[in-house]
Amino acid sequence: MIKTEKLTKRFGDCTAVNAVSTEMHEGAVFGLIGSNGAGKSTFLRMLAGVLKPDSGTLSIDGEDVWENPTVKSRCFFIPDEPYFFKNATPETVKDFYAIFYPKFDRAQFDKIISVFELPPKKRLSEFSKGMRKQIMIIAAVASNCDYLFCDETFDGLDPVARQAVKGIFAAGMVDRKLTPVIASHNLRELEDICDRIGLLHKGGILFEQELDAMKLGIHKVQCAFSSPKTKADFSDAAGFEVIKFTARGVVVTMTVKGTRESVLERVNGLAPLFAELLPLSLEEIFISETEVCGYDIKDILF
Amino acid sequence: MIAIDFSDKRPINEQIIAKVIDLAAKGFLPPGSPLPSVRSLATELSINPNTVQKAYAELERLGVIVSVRGRGSIIAENNEPLRNIQVEKLHAGLREAVEAARHLGMSCDEVCGEIRDIFDGGGDRK
Repeated sequence: MIKTEKLTKRFGDCTAVNAVSTEMHEGAVFGLIGSNGAGKSTFLRMLAGVLKPDSGTLSIDGEDVWENPTVKSRCFFIPDEPYFFKNATPETVKDFYAIFYPKFDRAQFDKIISVFELPPKKRLSEFSKGMRKQIMIIAAVASNCDYLFCDETFDGLDPVARQAVKGIFAAGMVDRKLTPVIASHNLRELEDICDRIGLLHKGGILFEQELDAMKLGIHKVQCAFSSPKTKADFSDAAGFEVIKFTARGVVVTMTVKGTRESVLERVNGLAPLFAELLPLSLEEIFISETEVCGYDIKDILF
Repeated sequence: MIAIDFSDKRPINEQIIAKVIDLAAKGFLPPGSPLPSVRSLATELSINPNTVQKAYAELERLGVIVSVRGRGSIIAENNEPLRNIQVEKLHAGLREAVEAARHLGMSCDEVCGEIRDIFDGGGDRK
């Protein structure tokens, strides 16, 4: 388990990560989202032991990460822009990482390289950006690490490679309880693969929740009544909190916090002509949640 | 066999549940037939294995599948829970259709007539 408490990192007078406390559990995918400059990369770099936190604590399975080769040999960090030595080839990358990762699987590295049809002896400087990213991911998979930190890893990959990599991650999760921590802008993609999501904003964690719980606790309701209704007709009650309300004639669309049952019961109690609960996408959940927090989503996500 | 529609707004675990129920109800997965393992389904579809696990747990709770030691998850021999789910679904569909017919001002006899036509194979008129 990864645990951070009030983790803080400053660069000059800019606080990149501000008192972030969170937990990430084994065998589950944690998604980190936030705008550019929200602190995602800084946070990941601290997890990976690249940066030293200014204050707060960070532990992986109860141990400090900073200057701790034992813990670091169980973690792999895929940076947004991978760095390779001059004249490096996939072969030398394999040799390099095999030094630091005791469980490094050379045969698997070779196998995935050939599946992705990457030339093993060609210089990486002659590779495309996406291919260099693939090499880094393949090294990460072959390292047999327990924790994988991905900084916008999927963004440079083509759709086929994306699906393949997700499949490889899935196998790792089942086989050795791999824990991927994925930072991304792509909400749609995170929605499909994450168990838990944390939203970073201006260095702080705005909220963090299980994706399922998030979806169960918030609903979009579309209903129609024989006479026009106002927001006052749907006053908040236990298990029913209207976040957003729009009425067009007799048709009411609203976003409500509450369980499916409590929301339906309340709406049906007002004898609608029809009432329908629609699932919310992750994007819609964030828009609702952040509006409640007083943030304009446009500032946060785009 | 179990396919996921990524543009579908329903969560992936719900899609898996619906798909398994559908395949079992139509007889493509007869009682006793094995489901793919969590690992193989997750890697094949490139989805989170925890999602598959959740879907299987819910299917087990519903009584549609059972997990057998050494054999993984199989479709339950007792198909009563499956039948109940399908009957419930049928009810919901009929209720919706009747509701729509009522809005059109059709009488019960007219609706029943339509249903009879469909039953007799003459319901394809457009």
